[in-house]
Amino acid sequence: MSDPDVPVEFLALHGLAVRKAGSPATVASLLGADEAQIAAALDAAVAEGRAAGAKGTYMVAPAGQAWLIEQYPVVYAEAREDGELTAAYERFEKVNTELLALFTDWQTMDAGGQRVPNDHSDADYDRGIIDRLGRLHERAERVVGACADAQPRLRRHLERLEEAYDKVLAGDIDYVSGVRIDSYHTVWFELHEDLLRMLGRTRQE
Amino acid sequence: MTSTTQQADRIIVLDGTSLPGRELIGGKAWSIARMTGLGLRVPPAFVIPISECIRYHEAGKTIDDDLWDSVMDGVRSIESATGRRFGDPHSPLLVSVRSGAAISMPGMMDTVLNLGITDEVEHGLAHITGDAIYARDTHARFCHQFGDVVLKAHLDPYASGSTAADMRALVLEDVGESIPEDPYSQLRAAISAVFDSWTSARARSYRKHWGISDEGGTAVTVQAMVFGNLGDESGTGVLFTRNPLNGEATPYGEWLPGGQGDDVVGGTHAVLDLSALEAAMPTVHEELLTWAKTLEDEHREVQDVEFTVEAGTLYLLQTRTAKRSPDAAVRIATDLVSEGFIDSATAVMRVTPEQVASVLLPTLAPEALIDATPVAVGEAACPGIAIGIGVVDPDEAERRAHAGEDIVLVRPTTSPNDVHGMIAAVAVVTDLGGSTSHAAVVTRALGRPSVVGVGDGVAEGLEGQLLTVDGAAGRVYQGALPLQATTIEDHPALSPLAAWASEHCPIDIVAQHDSDILDLDVERIGVDPETGRVDQEAVTQALLANALPVRGSVLNTTEGVRALLASGTSLVIADPPLPLQLRVLQATKE
Repeated sequence: MSDPDVPVEFLALHGLAVRKAGSPATVASLLGADEAQIAAALDAAVAEGRAAGAKGTYMVAPAGQAWLIEQYPVVYAEAREDGELTAAYERFEKVNTELLALFTDWQTMDAGGQRVPNDHSDADYDRGIIDRLGRLHERAERVVGACADAQPRLRRHLERLEEAYDKVLAGDIDYVSGVRIDSYHTVWFELHEDLLRMLGRTRQE
Repeated sequence: MTSTTQQADRIIVLDGTSLPGRELIGGKAWSIARMTGLGLRVPPAFVIPISECIRYHEAGKTIDDDLWDSVMDGVRSIESATGRRFGDPHSPLLVSVRSGAAISMPGMMDTVLNLGITDEVEHGLAHITGDAIYARDTHARFCHQFGDVVLKAHLDPYASGSTAADMRALVLEDVGESIPEDPYSQLRAAISAVFDSWTSARARSYRKHWGISDEGGTAVTVQAMVFGNLGDESGTGVLFTRNPLNGEATPYGEWLPGGQGDDVVGGTHAVLDLSALEAAMPTVHEELLTWAKTLEDEHREVQDVEFTVEAGTLYLLQTRTAKRSPDAAVRIATDLVSEGFIDSATAVMRVTPEQVASVLLPTLAPEALIDATPVAVGEAACPGIAIGIGVVDPDEAERRAHAGEDIVLVRPTTSPNDVHGMIAAVAVVTDLGGSTSHAAVVTRALGRPSVVGVGDGVAEGLEGQLLTVDGAAGRVYQGALPLQATTIEDHPALSPLAAWASEHCPIDIVAQHDSDILDLDVERIGVDPETGRVDQEAVTQALLANALPVRGSVLNTTEGVRALLASGTSLVIADPPLPLQLRVLQATKE
C-alpha cells in the first residue's frame, strides 16, 4: 500500500523516525510495506550515515533527521496543498482531543472532584469507556479514511487501530493506553506524528 | 394503575410494588425499582422488559400496536404521577430513555435525555422556569444527543450557545434524516434505537469475544426528568456517604442551587458544599442524609448518590459505588469492618495492590516545603515524588539512566521519539500540554510522576539541575527535598488490612527469609527485555523447576500471580507482602 511516487529510501527512514527506533519488521508493519524492501533501504541508510543499526534494530542518525526535514517539503509538497487532506487533518485533531480525554478517563477517575488513579474496580465504568472508544473508533475510521484517500499508505494505521481495539474488546485492557505495546494510544500517537511530519505541522502539546 | 396491570406483561411501572430480576429488566431499571422498594423517592419511571426486545427482533424490528399501547399507558402513569403532560407546553413532561441489558456491554445505545421537547415546549419551559437560555440550551442539547445517539450522526462535542435549529441542520446534513418534532415519534424512535443497538456491530463483536449468547436483548427504561431549576427551592447535587478523598465517615457532597443534573457532573458550574443545602432547606437535607444512609446500609458500601430537588421535593436519580482515592479506599474498607457491615475477607477484596502502593509512596516532608519555592509550576499529570537530574535529550536520558543515574526528562513537548527517554526517566516535565496530553497519558501508563504545561521554555531551563518533582501537586523544586515514608505498621488502616491479608491469603508471603532463594530479578526470568511484557509460561516453568522460596518483581503482576498459583509455590518473599497478597486474593476470587 506504499505510494509509488514516494521513494522507498525516504519512506523507510520516515517510518523509522515516527517510531524513533525499530526493526525492519516493525517499520514495515507501520508503513504497510514489504519487509525485505524496508530492510534493504534501512541498510542503505546506514551506509549513507542517515541511520545507525545494531542487531537488527535501527535508529535514525542526526544526519538522517536533517535529511528528512529537508525532504518532507519536497516529497509532500502536493499533500500539503491538498485541501481535502488538510481538512481531514483538522478533523483528526478534533478526534485527537476527544481520544486523549478518553485515555485520561481510562487512567484516572473522579473521586469527589479530584482525579485519582482508576483502580479498575468498577466494571461498568471501564465498559463505558471502552464503549466510548468504540464510538470514537468509528469517527477515527472516517477521519483516517479521508486522510488515506489522499495518502493510501495511511490506511495501514487504521488496520493497526482496529487490531488494538479488537484486543481491548477481547479483554486485553493494556491495549487501551499501554506504552511498550501497540496499544490504541501508541498507534494513535504514531499516526499523529506521521501526519505532523507529512504536513509540516508543529505539535501543540 | 388498573390500565397498567392489564398490560403487565408488556411494560412494568417501577413504583416499588415489585422487584423483577435484573435479567428481566436490566441494571438501570432494577436499580430504580430497588430504590423505590426501599421507600425512597425517584422520578416516576416504567421499563419495557428484555423480552420485548426479543419480540421486536423476531417481528422484523417492529414495535407492534399492543406494545405501543402499553408504552402509552406507561407514559400516562408518569403523567399522572408528575401532574405533567408529554408534549404539553403549559406543563411539559420530559423523559429520559436508557438501555439496560442484564450484562452491560459496549455498543448498546446510550442515554437520551429530555425527550418530549419541541419548539412549543421550549417556549413553555422558558416561561415556567423564567430562563429562556436554559430552555434553548436544553432543546439544543436534546437535538445533539438525539442526532448523535439515535440517528448516529457524526457530530462534534456539544458547544453551549448552539440552538436546536443549528443542530437539526447539522444532523439532517450528516445523515439525511430529521429529528422528529412530535414527542411520541421521538419516543418511538428512541425505543427502536435501543432495541436495534442490541445487534450493533460493536455489541455483537463484544458478545462474540466473551462467548455471550446473541439471544436475549436489552430493556428500555423511560423515566420522568425532574427540574433542578424550578424556582428558589430547586437544585441538584451529589452526595458521597463518606468522604471519597480521605475516607472519613462523614457525608461529603456538592450542591448547585438552580442547577440541572449535568451541570454538577460535568463540572461546568461553580458548586457549593452540602452545608449550603442544609442552611437553605434543612428538612430536605435531613431527608437526603437519611436516604443516603439507607442506601449505604443496603449496599454495605460507600455510595455516590445523585439527587435533584424540584420545588422543595427531593428525588434520587442514581446511586452507585463511590469512586475513591487510595487513602480513602483503605480507610473505608477497615472502617466498614469495625462498624460490622462487612467481614475481613470482604475488606481485603475491596483494596487493590495499586492503592496500597500508592498509599505507601513517600511524600514531601511538610517542614521542607516551608522554605521551598517551586522552580516550575504546571498541571499535575501523574502523582508521585521523584528526584533526579534534568535532561532534555531523550537519548542522553536513556544512556545516563542505564548508567545508574536518576533522570528527570525535561521537554518542550513529547512525541513517540521521546517515549524511550520517558521509560528511562524517574519523572517527566513538559512546557506545553494539559492533563490530557500525550505526555500525560504516557507517564500515567508508566506510573512516572509528571508535571505538564509549566510554560514555554521553562522545562529546558531546568537542564542539568537536581530536581524534586511532585506530580500530585504539579510542582518542581530545585535540589533534593527530604521525603517522608509511610509504613504499613504505622498506618492505622493498612496495619489491620495487612493482618487480614496474611490470614486469608492461600500462599505464604513473608517480608524476609534467611535460607537460599530463587530470585527471578537476579536470574532475569519472566520479562521480555524488548517489550517489557511478562512471560507467564517462563515464570511458571522456573517455579516448577525449583523448590526454593521465590522472590521477584515479576510476581507482582497478573501473569506472575497466575504462574504462582499454577505452580503451587508455597513460600514467596515480598517486602512488604501486602500488595502481592491482595493480588493473589483477587486472582483466587476470579
